[in-house]
Amino acid sequence: MHSFIRSNTHVALRLPSGLFKIIEITPNTSINLGKFGTVNSNLILGRPYYLTYELLDKDDGRAKTELRVVPASELHAEALGSEHAPVAETGEETADGEAGFDIVGEDGKVIMRNNRLTVDDASRQKLTMDEIEELKKAGTGSGKDIIARIMASHDAIDEKTSFSLAKYTLRKSRKYLKRFTAIPMDVGVLTGYVLEKEAYKIMELREDLLGLICSWANVHCGATTRVQTAEDGASQIGGGRWLVVDDTGGLVTAALAERMGILYPDDDDEESEEELAEAVEADQQQNGHTDAPQEPKPNESDTAMPDADAATVDPTKASDPTADSSHLLSLPRKSPRPHIPQMSAKTNTLTVLHPNNQPNLSYLKYFGYDYGAPVPSHPLYKHLKSLSWLSLLHPEDDPQYDEPELISDEVLATMKSSKRGTYYRKRRRWERVKTVVDETRAGGFDGLVVATAMDAKTVLKELVPLIRGGGKIVVYNPNVEPLVELCDYYSKERRAAYIAREFGPPPQTPRQMNGKKHKYDDDAETNDSTTEGGFEEDDFPLNPTLLLAPSLQTARARQWQVLPQRTHPMMTSKGGAEGYLFTATRVLPIEGRVEARGHHGKKKRKVGPEIAAQP
Amino acid sequence: MAFTPSPFLDPGTHASANNLGILQLRRDQLIPAILSPHAESDYAEGKVENTRFGSFPHSTLVGQPWGTQILASVVDTGSRGKSKKRKRDGNDEGEDAQKPDAKEAKRDLVKAATASSGFAHLVPPTPETWTLSLPHRTQVVYTPDYSYILQRLRVRPGDHMIEAGAGSGSFTHASVRAVYKGYPGQEDTFNGTDDTPEEAVGVTKKRKRSQRHGAVYSFEYHEPRARQLQVEIKAHGLDPLVTITHRDVYADGFCLDDSTGPDADAIFLDLPAPWQALPHLTRSPLTSAALQSVSTDPSTPNPAATSDPTPSQPFRSPLNPLKPIRICTFSPCIEQVTKTVSTLRTLGWVEIDMVEIAAKRLDVRRERVGLSEEGVRGGNASAATVQEAVQRLRDVEGRAAVFHSLQKEKQEEVMKRAEARKRGENVGEIGNGKKKDKVDGVPPGKQDRLEKVKKELESRTLYKEGRLVHRTEPELKTHTSYLVFAVLPREWTGEDEEKARKKWGKK
Repeated sequence: MHSFIRSNTHVALRLPSGLFKIIEITPNTSINLGKFGTVNSNLILGRPYYLTYELLDKDDGRAKTELRVVPASELHAEALGSEHAPVAETGEETADGEAGFDIVGEDGKVIMRNNRLTVDDASRQKLTMDEIEELKKAGTGSGKDIIARIMASHDAIDEKTSFSLAKYTLRKSRKYLKRFTAIPMDVGVLTGYVLEKEAYKIMELREDLLGLICSWANVHCGATTRVQTAEDGASQIGGGRWLVVDDTGGLVTAALAERMGILYPDDDDEESEEELAEAVEADQQQNGHTDAPQEPKPNESDTAMPDADAATVDPTKASDPTADSSHLLSLPRKSPRPHIPQMSAKTNTLTVLHPNNQPNLSYLKYFGYDYGAPVPSHPLYKHLKSLSWLSLLHPEDDPQYDEPELISDEVLATMKSSKRGTYYRKRRRWERVKTVVDETRAGGFDGLVVATAMDAKTVLKELVPLIRGGGKIVVYNPNVEPLVELCDYYSKERRAAYIAREFGPPPQTPRQMNGKKHKYDDDAETNDSTTEGGFEEDDFPLNPTLLLAPSLQTARARQWQVLPQRTHPMMTSKGGAEGYLFTATRVLPIEGRVEARGHHGKKKRKVGPEIAAQP
Repeated sequence: MAFTPSPFLDPGTHASANNLGILQLRRDQLIPAILSPHAESDYAEGKVENTRFGSFPHSTLVGQPWGTQILASVVDTGSRGKSKKRKRDGNDEGEDAQKPDAKEAKRDLVKAATASSGFAHLVPPTPETWTLSLPHRTQVVYTPDYSYILQRLRVRPGDHMIEAGAGSGSFTHASVRAVYKGYPGQEDTFNGTDDTPEEAVGVTKKRKRSQRHGAVYSFEYHEPRARQLQVEIKAHGLDPLVTITHRDVYADGFCLDDSTGPDADAIFLDLPAPWQALPHLTRSPLTSAALQSVSTDPSTPNPAATSDPTPSQPFRSPLNPLKPIRICTFSPCIEQVTKTVSTLRTLGWVEIDMVEIAAKRLDVRRERVGLSEEGVRGGNASAATVQEAVQRLRDVEGRAAVFHSLQKEKQEEVMKRAEARKRGENVGEIGNGKKKDKVDGVPPGKQDRLEKVKKELESRTLYKEGRLVHRTEPELKTHTSYLVFAVLPREWTGEDEEKARKKWGKK
């Protein structure tokens, strides 16, 4: 998917300063690179990613701005050069008797210069601010000239140690080199970009933690996973379906989707060569419509509309029991274009729970998915489902869950087309909402990923029962305290107390029970076990027996500089939230009192019965 | 027989026979087992996992929904090693089910009787649980490292991945999960609805030439390890996705012997000298100059090994020509990193970045401090507050005072009595009544306190008392390895540029 730069996709351009500029690239437009000038998008379209370009403009004798690919050897010249001649600098000015501040070899060669005589004074740079500004205005080439001039006019450039000289050059390059690198827009780049600008919007979630989340949630592609149902025959178990609570604007969702193979529009990389060839011979004019990802667009925008002109669209779908196709066949007029039901995939899906009417998944736009106006060809169209907390917990209170009145075909035929359109749109929305809500309430998800500012215990109380046995639970929080509290609700002492209270007498016939049923009961009818002790809610806000091995962890990647003889960790990096992960496995406890076995120290505890004292 | 996907990728609803299941005893204590209730075994119940939390016959595991809490069974472990006769005799549980022939017992297993205590949880295998439970052959790449590596390598479903230095196979399992996109030959049968509507819409999508399934190409130069891994991968149902090759990649590179190259998108090198393998990971044959600079690099100890591109064979690149290639090398020492990085630079890799991962787990507990914790397990019995300390001091002082005054009284009394005796008077038993009075006034002693604490403990709710604290786990992995990342862009020739210029030429 990232074999070359396609039009109408987002591209991250990294400037010499290390900052990213994210643009949506369209043909025949100019890209503004700030102080470095502008570039026509056609100069980078169709080219591979990760190339570094240098801007060549009129000052280099070009009529228009052009780009030169900077070869890797040139990018690494500095680092490689200093390596192959690591210490071979002969300081003439220091050779005479001024030993003592340099480390000199036996043959008088300076092995290592030190910085004892370095003068920290801005006045050593002869060029004034104004002169540099003038140089910049004069626009001498790719910036290399400016750097050369600056270096040349530094009073004591030879006094610098080779390392500090390298640093100096690097600093100047960052400022003046007119280069940029085109980087594909992926979750890692997006994370870095947002962290730099508005970290709070993604709960300061770093890439290292995203990796951990994906691993512990056991997220993977489930496109070919079997569709299997529970004993009741209706609710699905597994199937590569994950539940998500995402307050990071869609970043977590994007990371999970990337692992499931549903984040990027389905472009065939192998077509690229062919496409290029075709394009060369054939087309000139509609260049926007020539490349592979472009082609579906015209059709898509039509089919995305059916909500508007629904008369032409067939709302039947295989999975929908209520849809009645017969009345649609009677519709004459235009040839029916089938409707692609949104959120209709049965496997490999993400179900996002959101606190507002609409989920906030705005970062998905960088991957070509606009939640407000989704394109049916995007995999997320069918594989990303969403529902609000209201629909999950009290669907009866959600108007969208109410079935719109069914109108008979005869009546329908007499209606105006716009009205008929509205009717179908409503029906279809209801079908979608009903399918998603019913599926979600039936549970059996493979895992739960939570990154929310909400109180995690209230989230887990509702969602843990919806996870299948052996499913994974992952809760991210930028701060440790909420998760420490969460761990405490699942502590072994509390679990022991919970079991003791729930199933006081020793077991007669332990029977298998899924905590899910338990939870549902208290929604439907007042369950005795939850209402008996009034202190239940406070002491046991969660059923501690439903999760196994709750753990708390964190990880941080520490970046290093690797240069010949100058390898060390970076001097500074970003602070802020450390970021923590709570992980656990959903299990199906045996109802009843279970005696643990094993050695728990010599003394038998007096209180806190020895139940479930394992992990 | 129906094809069963690996329990790592699609575990199904229940644990099934001849598949891997994991018995989780504690957080870090997991027992992997291929569930085979009918395998040859000395036990009457068939194959059994014996743990410190009880014995678990496989027959009690197979067919259970994943995640089920499994109760231990009564298994006669004692007579196992002895003669079969003794075993049969000495079993009180399923005596009637016993069959004289051990072979027949295979079919007709003794129904395991539930023990009075002990349990474990049956969980489906994941790379994480496998990493915690796998048989160690080499240093293992743990979850914090491999999760970050796979994240940075941008390994996505359908990708092809090279792994060299397969070691114990923890990374192999994690990368299979990352590249998995169905088994080769198995199409979206269950999701058949998926494709049809799209086509019906008339999305003018050309039939894809070949649906790319994910694949891991694993290389290991230690033959027994390679074989062992092959066995494991097969047992885990991952063999269609993983190709294990026993080879020295320094010398022989990464291209497979049959012409289907790995066509790799991502590379993970867990080798002692990654820079020796790097010359095999290029898009085009190395120019002699490049080869020279790599091999004359003073840091490369064995240039002979690297400069062996077998000139007789035509060059074949193990890399996917259409995509940027990402690499990660995993080296514990900084010297290895320096050499690797300089070789990467020489060979034209870009975006070179080196990081190390510091991961830690936290323990959460409740810290109870106070005099009321005296004699209670897990509590700290020092005074919780200054006030409590003062009160305790007062009590001690008070007791001392009472004690002293008692002593004094006693002394006086003794004196009195002695005097009285001297005077020949009759001495009554005055002491008894007095003693009771004393006890009332005296602050509690240690014995009293402990008794009181014990009594109160009955009604205390320890699980919510004290201060909630967290701390780093007792044993910390402070260094695993340095991770070097780099990207090799697509090759871009003047010809390609010309084409692109024509296509995107300015109007």
